Amino acid sequence: MTAFFRRHASLLLIGSIAAASGAALWRRDGLGALGAALFHAWELFLFIAPSLVAGLVLAAALRQLMSPGALARWMGAESGWFGLAVATLAGALTPGGPMAAFPLVLVLAGAGADRGALVAYILSWSLNGFQKLLVYEMPLLGPDFAILRTVLTLPMPMLAGWVARRLPIAWEAPK
Amino acid sequence: MTGGQLLLALLAAIAFGFALRRGPGTARKVGVDAGQSLLKILPVFAVALPMAAFLAELIPADAAEGLIGPESGFSGILLASFAGGLMPGGPFVTFPLVLAFAKAGAGVPQMAALITGWSIFAIHRIITWEYPVLGWRFVALRLLAAFPLPILAGLLAEAAVQILPVTLGRP
Repeated sequence: MTAFFRRHASLLLIGSIAAASGAALWRRDGLGALGAALFHAWELFLFIAPSLVAGLVLAAALRQLMSPGALARWMGAESGWFGLAVATLAGALTPGGPMAAFPLVLVLAGAGADRGALVAYILSWSLNGFQKLLVYEMPLLGPDFAILRTVLTLPMPMLAGWVARRLPIAWEAPK
Repeated sequence: MTGGQLLLALLAAIAFGFALRRGPGTARKVGVDAGQSLLKILPVFAVALPMAAFLAELIPADAAEGLIGPESGFSGILLASFAGGLMPGGPFVTFPLVLAFAKAGAGVPQMAALITGWSIFAIHRIITWEYPVLGWRFVALRLLAAFPLPILAGLLAEAAVQILPVTLGRP
């Protein structure tokens, strides 16, 4: 049951919001407005679809080609800003969702990366993952905004990693 | 097709080319992997895109302008940072929602804070993945190190739009 909920939590939540907002729109503006909104959603889907397919192929290919363990030897506790920069770069290039990224943190930790580098890595993945940027942010919000936001937030994971190395919270990878 | 989409298609083709050079077995694994991901994402799209379209219709235009509009300044950035952290689901949910916010009159710095806040805090992802896989100590470490960043992103974007004419919206 827990596993089912964990796997489908987003889907269930989004489904409920969609049903509630759809019902509200139907009551307020009638069936025509509901149909028009659905058509608009379909158009948006057609607009994103090519990027989605390309993004998934790219992610799948990188998973076959890259070996994260090899990068981790640059990310140890003594690696300084260079290690944080490697972690930030690796995070931004990591494709896929949380089901791929969080287990990778364990792989990197096992291969020698320290907590600061791991914090930088996961933040960089969630903030500036190339896949999210190219598949969603650029097409939906426009390239100007997407590039501006990415440039501004690009160094932030390094900063957070630097802070994390100085926080008095010890962390060991769960066995 | 936009420039970003073309770039992505090109990168995918190059990466697939490298996989092909490793042998047909690797290329087939890439195809299977991509197909499985697509099958997982399509059901989410099927509910997320209608949800965003309904919400965009329900939210009146410029409803959010007073709260997180371009003139809302620091308080708008603060509010957007928190609102971002509460948004449920992955990018396929958030970006259509963000589009609804943009329609409702949000400003560029506030939007930058919102997306950064969502990327960093994303409560659903902490509960479903980060805590179970990495433990609460890692969650605490990351949140303490990163909590000011959405506000910083908003302030930097505020400074940037004074110089650069950046707007929201489809190309």
